Amino acid sequence: MSRRVCSAVSSSGSGLVAKRGAGSSGRVGWTAFFCGPAALLYTVFVVVPLVTALWYSIFSWRGTTQGPLSGLDNYATVLTAYPYQDQLLRAFGHNGVFFVGTMLVQNTVGLALALLLHRAPLGRRLFQTLYSLPYLISPLVVGYLWSMLLSPSFGPVNAVLEAVGLDALARPWLGDPGTALPVVVLVNAWQWVGGPMLIFGAALAAVPAELEESARIDGASAWKTFWTVRFPLILPTVGVVTLLTFIGTFNVFDLVFALGGSSGGPGQAMDVLGLLFYRLAFQGGVNAIGLSSALAMLMFVFVFGISLLVDRMLRRREVNP
Amino acid sequence: MKTTARGRIATQVLLWAYAGVAAGPLLLVVLGSLRPNQDLLRDPLGLPQRPTLANYERAWQSASLSTYLWNSVLITAAAVALCTTVSLMAAYPLARWHFRGRAMLAAYFLSGLMLPIKLGILPIFYMFQSMSLIDSRLGLILLYAASGIPFSVFVLMAFLRGLPRDVEEAARIDGADELRLFRSVITPLARPAIATVAVFQIAPAWNDFFFPLVLLRSTDKYTIPVGLSRFFGEHAADRGALYAGLVLAVLPLVVVFVIASRQIVAGLTAGIGR
Amino acid sequence: MAKLARWVLAAAVVAAATGCAPGGAPADGNITLNVWGWRTEDVAAYNKIFERYEKNHPGVNVEYRAFKNTEYNTILLTGLAGDAGPDLAQLRAYGELQPSIASGGLLALDGQIEALKSFPSSTLDGVRSKDDGKVYGVPFAIQTMHVIYNKKLFAAHAIAPPATWQDMTAGADTLQSAGVTPFAVTVRDDWMLPIEHEIFGAGRYGGPDFRERLLRGNAKFTDPDYVASIELYAGTTKYWQPKFSGVGYDDAKALFASGKAAMFPGGVWELAEFRRAVPDIEMGIFNVPPPPDAKVNKTLTPGFVDGSFGVSSRTPRQAQALELARWMASAEFGQAFSDELTQISAVPGTTPTDPLLKQAFEGFRANPGPYLMYGDFGYGTPSGAELLRAGLADVLLGRKSAADVASGLQRGVEQWFRPRG
Repeated sequence: MSRRVCSAVSSSGSGLVAKRGAGSSGRVGWTAFFCGPAALLYTVFVVVPLVTALWYSIFSWRGTTQGPLSGLDNYATVLTAYPYQDQLLRAFGHNGVFFVGTMLVQNTVGLALALLLHRAPLGRRLFQTLYSLPYLISPLVVGYLWSMLLSPSFGPVNAVLEAVGLDALARPWLGDPGTALPVVVLVNAWQWVGGPMLIFGAALAAVPAELEESARIDGASAWKTFWTVRFPLILPTVGVVTLLTFIGTFNVFDLVFALGGSSGGPGQAMDVLGLLFYRLAFQGGVNAIGLSSALAMLMFVFVFGISLLVDRMLRRREVNP
Repeated sequence: MKTTARGRIATQVLLWAYAGVAAGPLLLVVLGSLRPNQDLLRDPLGLPQRPTLANYERAWQSASLSTYLWNSVLITAAAVALCTTVSLMAAYPLARWHFRGRAMLAAYFLSGLMLPIKLGILPIFYMFQSMSLIDSRLGLILLYAASGIPFSVFVLMAFLRGLPRDVEEAARIDGADELRLFRSVITPLARPAIATVAVFQIAPAWNDFFFPLVLLRSTDKYTIPVGLSRFFGEHAADRGALYAGLVLAVLPLVVVFVIASRQIVAGLTAGIGR
Repeated sequence: MAKLARWVLAAAVVAAATGCAPGGAPADGNITLNVWGWRTEDVAAYNKIFERYEKNHPGVNVEYRAFKNTEYNTILLTGLAGDAGPDLAQLRAYGELQPSIASGGLLALDGQIEALKSFPSSTLDGVRSKDDGKVYGVPFAIQTMHVIYNKKLFAAHAIAPPATWQDMTAGADTLQSAGVTPFAVTVRDDWMLPIEHEIFGAGRYGGPDFRERLLRGNAKFTDPDYVASIELYAGTTKYWQPKFSGVGYDDAKALFASGKAAMFPGGVWELAEFRRAVPDIEMGIFNVPPPPDAKVNKTLTPGFVDGSFGVSSRTPRQAQALELARWMASAEFGQAFSDELTQISAVPGTTPTDPLLKQAFEGFRANPGPYLMYGDFGYGTPSGAELLRAGLADVLLGRKSAADVASGLQRGVEQWFRPRG
């Protein structure tokens, strides 16, 4: 992840970095002066607690009292004990679906909206603000709101479907294992679509207009112009959005909790790793800290590893478009 | 296609249609907050027949929302200011200087993007305890500021990279030291990116409800989300007041967002969006 | 912008710093006992109850402070582990109590509170440590499970509370053909599922007798009677509201409260909430009569210990806290509790004044049924409740058979459950 981000950053400004003064002792002081406060704050309040949490995973716990070193026992329990083994695999799969679904829906719609706004400057800021409004609301409230809207007993969604004669489409949305996860992906996209829209919009604005003009003069259709001219140019942005999406969807918790409760809805159709962590940490009995820390460690290693991998892949793609 | 009238109309129709999808559910809450409870229970979707602010009065009085609102404003503003300041300082050398370990340091900051800080609640609790930061707004300010650093550094670095090289040269020739250069040249130029970063930090800090719940003890230090969850528990049946509370909780954010939206777009355009 | 930011930061730091000065004792020499709990909806009632104590104990203030129930366990663990925690705390019962005890945050009450000796052993089981067998809290409430029904709707369709299983299904048929949903039931909030299963199925699997055999290791969840009890419960879905799998707890309650459904299987704690939502609602309760092939020929009333009040081992006001805990084991507290909160007090000799509560309590005293998943099978990881919640949902959705769910439950708890003797 980080290297990808760095490479995105450096590719946008390579050659602009001031070369003078490298290694001079005055610079070291200034570097410490500028980077010190952020490094201190970040280390003390983010890195240290998380490293400590991971350290906890190799002990057995009695409530909040640290017990003896237990090696990899907590990991063994999370990975092999019934029903955690099954739940881990299923939750993992759901996170994967969440990622793919979010890429397909949220980021595609975000890109589409950005394109529409790009060609229609009228009221652009109004629309950008309207589309970003859901982002301002806490995911827990969003969950509450949508479970009311989707309620089979009182919700307007089914009521509208039935009113227009589409009774067959009315569903117990969040209670149907077939629709629950897609619905969560959609609600999540509804909340976050403003992000990719703004980022893609900014990227499109940076594409030189002459390039498009010349493509159009060549007689290319709008669709073709987009894929041959614009898309390759915003590919680095697509990479950044993909990675942010990956990290976001594999750490998703609040919204799923609000829509499906701690077990992820009937049939655990919405169960994700974040919920499994919550169940282990807050309903996991006497050794909750040990077990949940082990799962957290596994999640972190996975997300970190895949991020690096995706980074590689994207960079290779960029080199030969 | 871009220039035809039909294309323009189609574009506008699509844009307004999605605006309905995005804002419609929120509009329901606003409308609901203006209706008495009996109406809401009978017909959750209707328009307000006789709009009333009674729900707002009840929400405001029974939940001491003014206290929560002040706490939220204080904590969010301080955390965002602190986070943005230190992140901008760190982003400056990371973006514009060459020094040994620069890439490592940048990676160190940015790896925080993928760490869900909630996993660290217990160590954070013990650390706060040893620092006497339990039941303290300062503790939350430091925590939110710290957890916002990775994203802020990420965006600010990208932005500063894009500034032309000569911006510092003139000031250097005038003999300005690094601090003056940072304050009088870099900071003003980075204004759009600062706005972007600030707004993206405000929503998570404003909406967080887990940390205040665990780390605060006195009700007079509660933030809006904790206050609301308390209010939800006590008035679960009072839907009208819940809606009113939600509107009051979100309104300040919307105002900030609307004011800052021009800057945000500019910041993104010059930063990660390129 | 930067200037503004500096000012805001400075102001915030000053305000935050002055705000975190330690509270300390008030100047008048009064002490305040902080009691933590999860009943945000009962804060006013608890403070009213504690006023009676304050009247007889000059110089002592008792403050009940409630936290969001879903986060309460975490908040309590941290509160008991650190400063600025509670003096007394409302504690969950059975397995969910164990982490607080294991952390060393609670005081053992054996020998400290004389009145605890008069509590029935089955009640104290809910507040005991699994490790040392000691009692760590004064139980405050017994919760019982019933079918709550709407009297007006029953009268309108000439239905009486059922004496037999056939009565119940016949009544449900009548309601259904008249367009009234017989049962409002939640599936989405799956913590309710084991409760619903006990309400409908306890008689079928055998209730307390089966529990006794389970604990001795003479029975398993895979036994045909337990499997059949799950099937019986799943068989009632034809009387539930349409699209039941998408209905949450609040919606199910709203269906009943608004008169769209005639019955609600749930805990006795719902009564107060229904009354709060619809003040003129007329409710009755009954328990499910023995179904065909029932192992018990009595109508069982399942129930359990809701929780207790314990004393923090870190409180500097231990003597006063213990004094308050002693009062909470007294008849005076018991009566105040059942009057103010309309719940069944756990203090022996207290009788609820509310007629429905009285009926509930008498049913429980005569023929108690267990709540297996919260009680005996809540002590390990994975807990029985966790396993059965997911399992029952799968049965209701038609994704698994009752037999598969029962064997999954057995397999899960076998990893930690040890039969006695």
